Amino acid sequence: MLKIEGLSVNYGSLRALTNVDLEVQDQGILHGVIGPNGAGKSTLLDAVCGRRRPTAGSVRYRGEDITGRSVAWRRRHGMSRSFQRTSIFPDLSVREQLVLIAQHLGDDRLDDIIRLMDLGAYLDQKAGRIAYGVQRRVDVALALIGRPSILLMDEPGAGLSAVETLRLFEHLRELVSEQKIVAVVVEHDVEAVFACCGMITVLDLGCHLATGVPSEVRKDSRVIAAYLGSAA
Amino acid sequence: MTESASSSWRVPATGAAGVMLFGFGGLLPAYLASDFTLKVANEGLLLGMLALSVAFLMSEAGLVALGVASVYGSAGYLFAIGMSEWGLTPTIAVVFAFFALIAYSGVLGALIVRTNPLAFMMLTLAAGEMVSHAVMLEAVHDYTGGADGLVVNFKGAILGVQAADFVNPRYFWPIGWTAVWLIGVTLWGVARSRLGATLRAVRQNEERMRFSGFNTYLPRVIAYVLVNAVAAVAGLLHVLNTGFVSPESLGLGVSTNALVAALMGGTAGSIGPLAGGLIFAFAQDEFGARGATQLLTGVAIVLFIVVFPRGVVGGVVAVLRRIAPGLVWLRGKA
Repeated sequence: MLKIEGLSVNYGSLRALTNVDLEVQDQGILHGVIGPNGAGKSTLLDAVCGRRRPTAGSVRYRGEDITGRSVAWRRRHGMSRSFQRTSIFPDLSVREQLVLIAQHLGDDRLDDIIRLMDLGAYLDQKAGRIAYGVQRRVDVALALIGRPSILLMDEPGAGLSAVETLRLFEHLRELVSEQKIVAVVVEHDVEAVFACCGMITVLDLGCHLATGVPSEVRKDSRVIAAYLGSAA
Repeated sequence: MTESASSSWRVPATGAAGVMLFGFGGLLPAYLASDFTLKVANEGLLLGMLALSVAFLMSEAGLVALGVASVYGSAGYLFAIGMSEWGLTPTIAVVFAFFALIAYSGVLGALIVRTNPLAFMMLTLAAGEMVSHAVMLEAVHDYTGGADGLVVNFKGAILGVQAADFVNPRYFWPIGWTAVWLIGVTLWGVARSRLGATLRAVRQNEERMRFSGFNTYLPRVIAYVLVNAVAAVAGLLHVLNTGFVSPESLGLGVSTNALVAALMGGTAGSIGPLAGGLIFAFAQDEFGARGATQLLTGVAIVLFIVVFPRGVVGGVVAVLRRIAPGLVWLRGKA
């Protein structure tokens, strides 16, 4: 489904990602991406979704090289993205923004998304005036519209408590399983990732360190040395 | 009373009130007001049209255009040149001027709407200033009349209206009133359409719109062309009414007046900018007689940005909402 080959991204003289290879094709499970600060996790998502043009390498989606494609093209072809900082429309009601995007993408199962993300009670409220945790759910709901086949999520738990993050991840796991989506999640909360993700990739200093099921990754000596330490 | 029950009479009641306001507003002033008052009111209507165009772009797309006068004034020049130099009939000259300005706006809009709001504002200012200075060039003096401008005389009718009727303030008022209503209702409809919703969403969060598969460029180009079409109509009505066009009508002063009128009346909705245009025209007449037009502009900008940011109409609606919160039809924009 998604194949990243030799991906490098530079910010001026700083190498944020160096020659990263990654293949993600398991539908219905969360694929977590973890690593210390500055590991290149968000840069990886930015390069995959077209927000940042890679310095080298390619992104292949369903076998097609989409490295030069626009963000809007990728979205229309099933690649969706949520952001570390909540990215919604604060002056539109929750309903207005969901309907606007659903109409554009021709998605008629908005009721299912509203039910899945538990947004029924907030539909007529301006998105900028609802609690932050609910705003995060609106953000994910916007990303889910249009039946995406790949969902890229950058720290969906940012700003939430550990309990809220775990609850959100359980919600996401259920959703991804139900919709058979390929989901890549960058997250700092290691416990939530190990509890809910079926596959995990670890980055360190812009390089790919390991990919595997949680039990393998937790035992990987390189991952323990670079990131997990005593948490393993 | 439930909301659904109240909404059952809200639409016909609002429609009936609108039709009555349109009818009385179009006819009564011509009987009740003096020629001089009507002349100032006509200027206010045309300024209100320009303010409508500026306000629409501000409230829907979050963009401030400072070059609206270049389209407003150019409409008059193109109409005059079309008739005098190329022998076009008045109706054909109006159509030519309108579509030439649509084409100009399309090209300019395609170049500048990609920029950030500040750069957009400066680029519209630059484009407007270039046009206002271009008509003064010696090379085009024979066409534009240079600093003296052009007197525009024509005989016959345009769209069934005789030339003399445009010049008579008593006859021009219902023409201008009808035009401003048509424009106001059109912009109101566009604001409530999918294009309007897209523009507001792009204004709030362009990146999310791109990540939702939207083309965020084309809607802004369309909005820019639309507001310039309104400015072109206002400019054509202005030249038909006054029979004269000069470099002053292209200048920054007219653009600034339109912006101030929009701020005075309130930028949300169609009524505010129109009211702002009328208020500004009468205030300008009063202050201008004392040589204090610039003082009026300065005071109005400070007052309506700092103290009354929703403008006169927005402020009145807010007060009415507080006094009578049950008036549910006031929920929408003013």
